[in-house]
Amino acid sequence: MLQYFDLANAWMLLPASLGAIVLTLLLVWAAKIPLIYNLRNLQIRYRTTLLTAVAFTMVIGVLTFMMGFINGLRVLTQSSGIPENVIVLSQGSTDEGISTLAYEDMSDIAQLPQVKREEDEPLCSREAYIVINQPIENPLPGRAKRRLLQVRGLDDPRISAIVHGFSLEDGGEWFSAAGVRANPAPDQPPMVEVILGEGIARELGADRSPEILANAKDKTRLTTGDTITLETRTLYVSGILKTGGTTFDSELWAKRSVIGPIFGKNNYTTLVLKTKSPEAAEELESFLTGKDVDNKYEKARVNAFTEPNYFKSLGQTNLQLLIGTIFVAIVMAFGGIMGVMNTMFAAISQRMKDIGVLRLLGYGGWQILISFLFESMMIALFGGLLGCALGYASNGYSMTSVVSNGPGAKAVVFRIVVDAGVIGIGLALSLAMGFFGGLLPAQSAIRYKPLESLRG
Amino acid sequence: MRFLKLILRNLRRNILRSILTSTGVMVLVFVITLIWSILGFLDRATTEKSANFKGIVTEKWSIPSQMPFSYAQTLADGAAREPGDVSPEDSMTWQFFIGTIDKANIGFNSFVFAFCMEPRKLLTMMDELDSLPDGPKAELEKAVVAMENNRQGVIIGRKRLEALNKRVGDKMTIFGQNYRNLDLEVEIVGTFPPGRYDNNSCIHRDYLNSSLDSFKAKTGKAHPLAEKTLNLVWVRVPDRDTFDQLGSQITSSPFFATPAVKIETASSGVSNFLAGYKDLLTIFRWVLAPSILITLAVVISNAISISVRERRKEMAVLKVLGFSPNQVLWLVMGEALLLGGIAGAISSIGTYYLVNKGLGGIPFPIAFFSSFPVEDGALWWGAAIGLITSFLGSIVPAWSTRSIKIVDVFSKVA
Repeated sequence: MLQYFDLANAWMLLPASLGAIVLTLLLVWAAKIPLIYNLRNLQIRYRTTLLTAVAFTMVIGVLTFMMGFINGLRVLTQSSGIPENVIVLSQGSTDEGISTLAYEDMSDIAQLPQVKREEDEPLCSREAYIVINQPIENPLPGRAKRRLLQVRGLDDPRISAIVHGFSLEDGGEWFSAAGVRANPAPDQPPMVEVILGEGIARELGADRSPEILANAKDKTRLTTGDTITLETRTLYVSGILKTGGTTFDSELWAKRSVIGPIFGKNNYTTLVLKTKSPEAAEELESFLTGKDVDNKYEKARVNAFTEPNYFKSLGQTNLQLLIGTIFVAIVMAFGGIMGVMNTMFAAISQRMKDIGVLRLLGYGGWQILISFLFESMMIALFGGLLGCALGYASNGYSMTSVVSNGPGAKAVVFRIVVDAGVIGIGLALSLAMGFFGGLLPAQSAIRYKPLESLRG
Repeated sequence: MRFLKLILRNLRRNILRSILTSTGVMVLVFVITLIWSILGFLDRATTEKSANFKGIVTEKWSIPSQMPFSYAQTLADGAAREPGDVSPEDSMTWQFFIGTIDKANIGFNSFVFAFCMEPRKLLTMMDELDSLPDGPKAELEKAVVAMENNRQGVIIGRKRLEALNKRVGDKMTIFGQNYRNLDLEVEIVGTFPPGRYDNNSCIHRDYLNSSLDSFKAKTGKAHPLAEKTLNLVWVRVPDRDTFDQLGSQITSSPFFATPAVKIETASSGVSNFLAGYKDLLTIFRWVLAPSILITLAVVISNAISISVRERRKEMAVLKVLGFSPNQVLWLVMGEALLLGGIAGAISSIGTYYLVNKGLGGIPFPIAFFSSFPVEDGALWWGAAIGLITSFLGSIVPAWSTRSIKIVDVFSKVA
C-alpha cells in the first residue's frame, strides 16, 4: 500500500493539520470552556507539560529529519527526468551499469523519425556510463577511504548538453574534440579534460590536502581550471555543470574515447534521445520496447524508458527507506502516546474536583472530553512544532546516498529537503499522537459522576 | 527484601501508569534493538579479522568488476611464481548472472540474481554457510551434491522461490539481462537455509561458461561479455602476513595487466561497498538511536515526576517513620529501575526470538544484505537500556524527594 504514498502529495497534510487545529479550537469554543482554564493548567504543571512535549519534539524531530532525507532523494530522482527524453539500454537491462549497446544499433535508432533534429543532426547522446572505485587521497578520520565515482563518457558534450538540458557555469568550456590538453608537467601524458556536476565538485573538493586548499580558488569545491588525479592520469576541470539538483550533479563527464579505455570500458551503455514532446517520447518508448505489437522496432532488441519513468524506477530505495522510516515513526509515536497518556491520566486524577465542579455547573461529558483533548493536543502541537523546527534545521544539508532500481545503483550527492509536505507529515503525526494519547484519559474523565468527583 | 516489596507494592498501586510506562519502554527498546542489530552486523562485516582472512580480488577501477575468466586459476594459486611464494588455503570464483523468468513482465516477481560458482565452495567459503549447524548443513550438502551431479541445477533462497512461485524440482528458463541473449535452462535442486541468502540463487559456474561457449558456436562470434565474466575471486589465507604477501604477489603479477586487479580484505571490500550508505548509517547511529534513548528517558522521567509529585505526603510520612532521604531516593529510583529493566529485558528478548525465529531476520535490504539477524547481545541490551535510561530519567525527580520537608508538607495539609 505504501507504494501509493507519494511524498509529493504530502503537502496536503499541512492544511489538513491546520484544519484539525481550527476544528479543535471551534470545538473548545462550542464547549464554552474558557481556553485560559486549560492553558493555566498546562502552565501550572509546566514540568510535566515540558517533559511530555520534549518526547514529542524528539519523535517529530527525527521523523522530519528522516523524511527530509527521503524527500531529498525523491526530489533528486524526480527532477532528473526530462519528459521529452527516452533512455535506450540493451535488451533486458534496467540499469546503465550492465547495459551494452552496439554502435550500429544506436546509429539506426538515432535516425528514427521520432527523434528531434537540429541543423539536420539527430539530438541523441551516445554515452558510456562507468562507475569507478576511487581511492580517496586525504580521507578525513572516520570517513570512507574509497568512493563510487560515476563517470559518463560522451562523444559530443555540446549535443549531450542540449539533450540533457544543461549548461556550464560562467568561465567553463566543454571539453575539446580530442578530450585532452597538454600537461604542463614534463614527461607526463596529456591531461584529461572533464566536466563536473556541482555535487561531485564539492565532494572531490573536500579531498584536497590543506596545502592545496590554502591556494585554492574556491575552498568549498573544485572549480574550472583545477586539476585532480585519478588512476595515473591528471584530470583538468574544464567546467562545472549547472545540473540544478539532478542525479547528474554527482557525475564526471569526459570524452568517451579517452576515459573509456583508461577504465577498460570501450562499449557504449546508453543512448539518450530527445523527441518533440512528452507524448512523442512515450510513443517512441512503446515503439522501441515492442509494447505496441502492430508497430514495433524490429532491427534490434533494446530496452527503452522515458526519462521520468527511468528515474522513477531509481526511487525503489526511497520506498524501502520510507517503509523503514514510517515503521520507526509509528513505533516511536506509540512510545510518545504512552507518555502523553501518563500525563493526561495524572492531570485528570489531580483535577477530579475540577471535573466535579464543572459537571455541577452544567458542563456535559462531551465538553469535559473536549477540554482534556484540547490540552493533550496543545502539548502535541507545542512539541510537534519544536520537532518540525528541529528537523527544518537540516534543510539544505548536503548528503550522499545510493539510489537503486534493483540490479543497478547510483551513488548520489543531494540535499535534504524539508518542505511543506514533510512539515505536514510531522504536524499530522504529532496531532494524531496528541489525539490518541488524550482520548482514553479524556474518556475516563467523563465517566465520573459529579459527586463522586467532588469526593475525590 | 522489605525494600523490594515496598517498591513492588508502589508499582502495583498505580497499575495503569506502570503499564503505560513499561509499554512505552518496550516499544522504544524494540526499535533500538532492531537498529543496533543492523549496525552491529554491519560493524562486524567491516571489522578486520585477526585470523582466517578472506581476501577479495576485483578489477582495480571499474564497478561492476569484470575480469576475464582466464584470471581464475592464477588467482586461485595466488599468482605464486617464485619459490617461497604463498598460495591461498581455499578460493572461490564469483560470476553474476542477472535475469528474469518472464520477459514480458520483468519485475520483482520474475527477477533472478544468481552467483555462478563451484557448488562445493558454498560449504567451505561462503559467509555463514561455512559454519552451519548440522541439520541445515546436511540439507545444503544434499543440494550441493545434486548441483554437482546436474550442472543445470540451481539452489534458490526461500523468499525468491516464493516470489517466483516455484518449488524444488521445477524447471525454468532464466532469460539473461546482463548477459544479453544468453538464456539458461535450469532445474531447482534445493534452497538456502533461511536468512541472509533468502533472495539469492546459485548456478553452477560450469553451466554458465559452457553456455557462453555454445553461444559462440551458435552465432559464430563470442558473447560481448565473454572476456568479462569473472566478477570476484575470494581467497582464504591464515593470517595478515600471508595476506600481505599474497596481495603483493597478485598486484605485481604481469598476468593481471588488462584489466589491473586489486586485492582487499573482505571487511575492507564490504566497507567500500557500504561507502555510499555511510551518511544513512551515520544518521541511524548518531541521530536515530540517541533520539530514541532520549525519548525513552523522557517518558520514564515524566512518569516518575508525576509519581513523586503525587506522593509528597507519603514520602514525608516515610521520613517521619525514620526513612533517610537516601532511602526515599532509592525507593523512587528502584521503582524506575525495576520497571525499566524488566520492560526492557522482556522487549529485547522477545524481539530476539520473534524476529530471529519468526521472521527470519530484520527485512531491511541495504547494499547486498537483504535481512539482518537480531544480535545475541540483544538478550542483555534491553535490560541495560532500561536500567540506564531509567536511572538517567529518574535521577532528577528522585533527587527532588530528598528535599521534601516534613514541615512543609504537613503545614499544607493542616
